Amino acid sequence: MIEFINVKKIYGSGMAHSIALDEITFKIEKEEFVSLVGHSGAGKSTILKLIYAEEKPTSGEILFNGEDISRLSNKQLPYHRRRIGTVFQDYKLLPKKTVFENVSFALEVSGHTNKEINESVPQILEIVGLSNKMDSYPGELSGGEQQRVAIARALVHRPALIIADEPTGNLDPISSWGIIQLLIKINKLGTTVLLATHDKDVVNNIKKRVITLDQGRVIRDHSKGRYAI
Amino acid sequence: MLLTLTRTLKAGFQNFYRNGSLSIAAVSILTLSLLIISIIIVLSITANLGMKYVQDKIDIRVYFKSDVEESVIKNFRSEITKSMEVKSAEYVSKVQALSEFKATNSNKPDILKAIEAVEENPLLASVNIKAKNPEQYDVIAKSIEDSPFKESIASVNYQQYKLVIDRFNATLKTLRKTGAFLFILFSLIAILITFNVIRMTIFNHGTEIEIMRLVGASNNFIRLPFVFEGVIYGFVAAAVAMALLFPIVKIVTPYVVGSTYVQVIQSDFSKYFFLIFIIQIILGTLLGIISSLLAIRRYLKV
Repeated sequence: MIEFINVKKIYGSGMAHSIALDEITFKIEKEEFVSLVGHSGAGKSTILKLIYAEEKPTSGEILFNGEDISRLSNKQLPYHRRRIGTVFQDYKLLPKKTVFENVSFALEVSGHTNKEINESVPQILEIVGLSNKMDSYPGELSGGEQQRVAIARALVHRPALIIADEPTGNLDPISSWGIIQLLIKINKLGTTVLLATHDKDVVNNIKKRVITLDQGRVIRDHSKGRYAI
Repeated sequence: MLLTLTRTLKAGFQNFYRNGSLSIAAVSILTLSLLIISIIIVLSITANLGMKYVQDKIDIRVYFKSDVEESVIKNFRSEITKSMEVKSAEYVSKVQALSEFKATNSNKPDILKAIEAVEENPLLASVNIKAKNPEQYDVIAKSIEDSPFKESIASVNYQQYKLVIDRFNATLKTLRKTGAFLFILFSLIAILITFNVIRMTIFNHGTEIEIMRLVGASNNFIRLPFVFEGVIYGFVAAAVAMALLFPIVKIVTPYVVGSTYVQVIQSDFSKYFFLIFIIQIILGTLLGIISSLLAIRRYLKV
């Protein structure tokens, strides 16, 4: 589904440049669950940004279902992003909207009808286990619950891929594990999941493929990996 | 498409409504600019109307010596009518001139008595010439002076109007120049301020825009609420400016043009109401749209 071929990403130019990714090559198949681990600055976030086309690679190719996404035009970009759900450490919820509105927002901006919205949103909230909190505001929820709302929003237009950038970074171990289990459940329902994290316990408990990055290079890629740097 | 429009329109209204004080600032500066622009328009309309009024009164009167035959005068009239610049030439005979004179002085018995005391009609026959364009009176006057009828002419009554015409033309020109200058100046100020207000709104919506981009909102969907916000500013400003304009015109016109013309001008003026209102709405929304597009450009990375 995703293929990085000799991808290089350099931020800045001239004397002040820094190499974020150095000739990265790897492949993620459909319906895989992949953890991306490494220290801060190892290049995890850069890889994710390249996938949802927030950044463009300096050189190399990034294929998404066989299509080179570094060549997407500005017009095609929104449609590419609708194939990907994103979850972040800081949840990125709108504080003045209810849980329902936060999730439906993702459908509204991509032009779904109100009927579709009223059908999909409760379904998704059911999956993440927040059916009873639909009309609450993010401020009234715990961190774990807020992250579930974010996951619901990422899922609501049924993307082929979920990208999670340190989703457990702000959570206690129990809430963290809840979120990871939710991601595993989503993966079992058929969505590819790419999880960037530096949480050792989380990675060791998932027991799935782990790609380890260090200073912009892939140093390990094991199918039943552990967190080891 | 329709969904995008209704949703973004709604968001635009919400932006306008929820940024109370900022919206008021943007609307008031836009109102001020529109007001100044439309006052300039009103002034030039008034000046044009006034000009027409004065032009209708202006003519060249050619008085003929009392011993000149009527046929010569009529000959002169038909000659002068042929020239390009002349709109009309009216022959006023001695008899007509006398009765007109009596009519205008009917409430001054001593003058009437005096004129009756003279046995012969003391008034001269004349031809009253009107030009198509006020600037052409010079040419006409000159051609009369050079014409073969010169010998029969007693006097050409023209000089006294020249001053009025020149002054009017000069005023109109300065008015148009200052008008254009003020128009550009205030449009720029309005664009700058609306631009800043919308930039602040966009700044307030930073997270929202970021999320919209992440969940795959099209650029239009992100841009339109702010464009609509600009349109609303323009619309409200046009309405307020229009409401303020008419009382101002009512109060100010007498001081500007002098009381004689007020009646004429104000009655003609209502005709221009819709024209000015439409100009204001178009200008207002245009200013709003330009400034919001400028403001959002940097946030969209397009």
